[in-house]
Amino acid sequence: MKRPSGPLLLLVFLLIFPLIFREGYYQHLMILVLMWVAIGSGWNLISGYTGQVLFGAAAFFGVGAYTAALLSSKLELSAWWGLPLGGLLSVAIAFPFGWICFRLRGPYFALATLALNEIFRHIATIWESLTDGMIGILVMQTFISKVPYYYVALATAILSIVGVDYVIRSRWGYYFVSIREDQDAAESMGIDTLYYKMVSLCLSAFLIGITGALYTNYMGFIDPKVVFSLHDISIMAILVGIVGGVGTIYGPTVGAFIMVAVQEIFRTGGFGLLNAIGKATGWPFMTTVTKYISEAHVLSFGLLVIVVILFLPNGIVGDWGIIKKIFVRSKKPAV
Amino acid sequence: MEVFLQTLVAGVLKGGLYALIGIGMTLIMGVMGIINLAHGQFMMVAMYVTYTLFHFLGIDPYFTLLISMPSLFVLGILIQKYLLNPLMKVDSILPENQVLMTVGIAMVLTEIARFIFSSNYLSVKTSYSSSAFYVGGISFSVALTIAFGIALLLTFGLFWFLIKTDLGRSIRAVSQDGEAAELMGVDSEKIKMITMGIGAALVAAAGTLLLPIYYLFPDIGGPFTRKAFVITILGGLGSTVGAIFGGVTLGLAESFGATYIGMDFEDMVGLVIFLLVLLFIPGGFRRLTKV
Amino acid sequence: MRIRAFGLLVVLSCLILGIGSVCAAGEPIKVGVVLPLTGEQAKFGEIEKNSFLMGLEEINKAGGVNGRPIELLIEDDTGKPDVGRSAVEKLISQDKVVALTGGYSSSVTYAVCAVAQQRKVPFLVSTGSADKITEQGWDFVFRIAPPVSEYPKALNSFLSEVVKPQSVAILHENTLFGQSGAKEFSEQCEKAGIKVLIKEGYEAGAVDFKPLLIKVKAAKPDFVYMISYVMDAALLMRQSKELNFNPKLFVGGGAGFTLPEFAKNAGDAAEFVFSADLWSPTLPYPGAIEYFENYQKRFGGATEYHGAEAYGCIYVVADAIKRAKEISQAAIRESMAATDMMTAFGPVKFISYDKKKQQNQLPTYLVQWQKGILETVWPKNVATKPYVYPVPEWSKK
Repeated sequence: MKRPSGPLLLLVFLLIFPLIFREGYYQHLMILVLMWVAIGSGWNLISGYTGQVLFGAAAFFGVGAYTAALLSSKLELSAWWGLPLGGLLSVAIAFPFGWICFRLRGPYFALATLALNEIFRHIATIWESLTDGMIGILVMQTFISKVPYYYVALATAILSIVGVDYVIRSRWGYYFVSIREDQDAAESMGIDTLYYKMVSLCLSAFLIGITGALYTNYMGFIDPKVVFSLHDISIMAILVGIVGGVGTIYGPTVGAFIMVAVQEIFRTGGFGLLNAIGKATGWPFMTTVTKYISEAHVLSFGLLVIVVILFLPNGIVGDWGIIKKIFVRSKKPAV
Repeated sequence: MEVFLQTLVAGVLKGGLYALIGIGMTLIMGVMGIINLAHGQFMMVAMYVTYTLFHFLGIDPYFTLLISMPSLFVLGILIQKYLLNPLMKVDSILPENQVLMTVGIAMVLTEIARFIFSSNYLSVKTSYSSSAFYVGGISFSVALTIAFGIALLLTFGLFWFLIKTDLGRSIRAVSQDGEAAELMGVDSEKIKMITMGIGAALVAAAGTLLLPIYYLFPDIGGPFTRKAFVITILGGLGSTVGAIFGGVTLGLAESFGATYIGMDFEDMVGLVIFLLVLLFIPGGFRRLTKV
Repeated sequence: MRIRAFGLLVVLSCLILGIGSVCAAGEPIKVGVVLPLTGEQAKFGEIEKNSFLMGLEEINKAGGVNGRPIELLIEDDTGKPDVGRSAVEKLISQDKVVALTGGYSSSVTYAVCAVAQQRKVPFLVSTGSADKITEQGWDFVFRIAPPVSEYPKALNSFLSEVVKPQSVAILHENTLFGQSGAKEFSEQCEKAGIKVLIKEGYEAGAVDFKPLLIKVKAAKPDFVYMISYVMDAALLMRQSKELNFNPKLFVGGGAGFTLPEFAKNAGDAAEFVFSADLWSPTLPYPGAIEYFENYQKRFGGATEYHGAEAYGCIYVVADAIKRAKEISQAAIRESMAATDMMTAFGPVKFISYDKKKQQNQLPTYLVQWQKGILETVWPKNVATKPYVYPVPEWSKK
């Protein structure tokens, strides 16, 4: 009976979070975390559970983001309609793409999604009459306060976690995992692998597309380079997934916390801690250290990936046992 | 007609360099069965090696081939030995862990370069950087033509190596059937290290040859990684002859795309051809040529 | 095991949020700066940062503002809008800055300005050149740099008075700067009766421009207008020379064509190339040449108009704080709106016109590379050298 208390605790914490932390800065960071939870969960469904690594999450993210933006700029509707419609349009993209490309396996599928990502970025850049190209699209924000955005992001994150959990516990989930474990065996047992891979991809695309639309609503300005970014969206989605734990329900949540935290800690030099130490002690080299630390955030991402893959190939949640063992072992001699 | 011929020449010359980039990737793909998403970053490292030698010692880029290629060979071996080979023993859910690892390696290499050299644009300007000769009104860039020649030489050298030497034969054996080769007494881990080294050295050559006519900054690797995998897929994975076809095809497709459709579409043309080949001729051009 | 994972999460999030408030209170007046110091745009962020610090040092050495020094808190936006927003939220809510400045890429600048407007903190944009930024009716946002659509103004008078061309080919990089500049320029050309034969974009960082140039050469335009950053610009000129392509003139749309690196990399292919320009050290603005020389002495590298924008900004901010009735965000906004001063970047006065609000308008210039030196050639009253036109063919240079 103690089992659900962890997630429940977290949920309560997240629900009252904006009441405790009233500063825009923390609320903004938390909104980013929640968006990454949703993207990461979407990525995890197709990649972690179904075993088809998605290298082009930004294609769906960008389609969602552009749907919201175009609804407001071309049709003068509220950009909030982008949430359902952006998700659906991402599915509409994912459907033919999956149908064509799921005959490819393993790394070939991964590369095809990477190509899809790049093709969409080019289209959004070149098709100036529709998207205004790199000039970008502006959407007026609905709320001044961050709290409404926070709760929408929280709802999206919860939807994605609960949704993925529900799907994985259903019969579909077993099919997905059996495809990941051995596609040929799954096929020979009568599972229509193409169909279930597409179901998985479409669900992923839906979650990622919704988050894209939410991003447009929240940030108010998008351009192709930002929302179709291979580096900042597609690869980041993979990092969130593998650092947290591939094929685990709460892996992306842990991954999203860690990635946003790592980025912010490095960017600000430990939230100005290093600078403060420098000032308090008068060590001039602290400024230099701070400068290097803040420049190192991408490097830290790269190193984190290498370390995680080498030592925790199933991510922090997936290899929690290994982590626990390390701590237990290191405690023993102390006792 | 002049437009057509000039486009053709531009495409073929660029294709030679692309082939050199693609062969290394293809070799790695064939032996390791992974797509090396740090390939362009290897090239970037080689370009910084060349830049450093040129800038501080005044060594001509063509001579630095003798240094940049061996240093990348060593880098490739070290990466394979300490970062990729250990993964084969690790039990993980996703079989693509090695590919994801190369993404991490790519990020680290790029950021290390940024640490050392900052984000500034750097270039190596030689007397032949912007000179050209003309044949019947068609201009040939001197540097690109030399690069094309060296690329051909290196490719033939590689063929000779793969076909005539014992080591080369072992590499081909692992590439065709790793388990069988191991049973025959081939040390597949060692072969993988050497293959990664050769792959890195080849792309290093491409980088060194490109530098005099191009420029250099830490983020340069990404676009070339993308080109490399397009070439590899076009040519058929693991096929060195295919990679040459793939490289030249991409060069021509980009040039003709830029001239007749629009420069906007230069990159798109490559990606679309990539997707089409992936779907309709899954074996790449190798299947058509049967080489 | 899951419960522990969540315990860890909660602890972690508290940790992230807990160590935040380490900052020393003091006498200096705090001004926040948002710039890309890492990532692809880091190079320009660095130039602007150095220029801000140079200006700051000079102001503080001269006694600061009303006896109080200014302190600049520079935050890295990494070139990403969401991170830029984190940065500015932190500056406003934790560091309690009285004014903000900086802003390099337009997408980040837009996201940051929206926050500044909501939180009612004056923001002086140094670069972010998308027209839309000052078209929102935001009264806390000011911009020192002209919007991207106004860059080629001086070129137009030169064309109509001297060159009188019939046709043009427009090449541009596919960036905000390139696409909107090309759009604006082709509209201006059509209005002036110049036929636009080719208008084409390319992905910045292309290896080979020859296919594009071959096509342009075959179309035989009177002149070529290019909006490119420095290395693409150098490649375009080098390959034009290789192809022996001789239009009446090559004109750059600012940005890459005016930097020393362009001449260094293009070599003799840079000779006699024209460019639109906002700022160059030879312009008759007080302190312009001193700024340029001091920067070079201090940081080793050359600066350019982005740096001058930043250098101008810090003086405008100091001036606004000096004239403000009290040190508060609202009072500084009031005084900044009344700015009317001369800086090393040019005259600064925030006016409203068309849809724009609180936008600085600047004269633009036409420059030309002559023997490896960038000379201002138009308008004639500020010219440092007479222009060279018609331009000799490649073979006769």
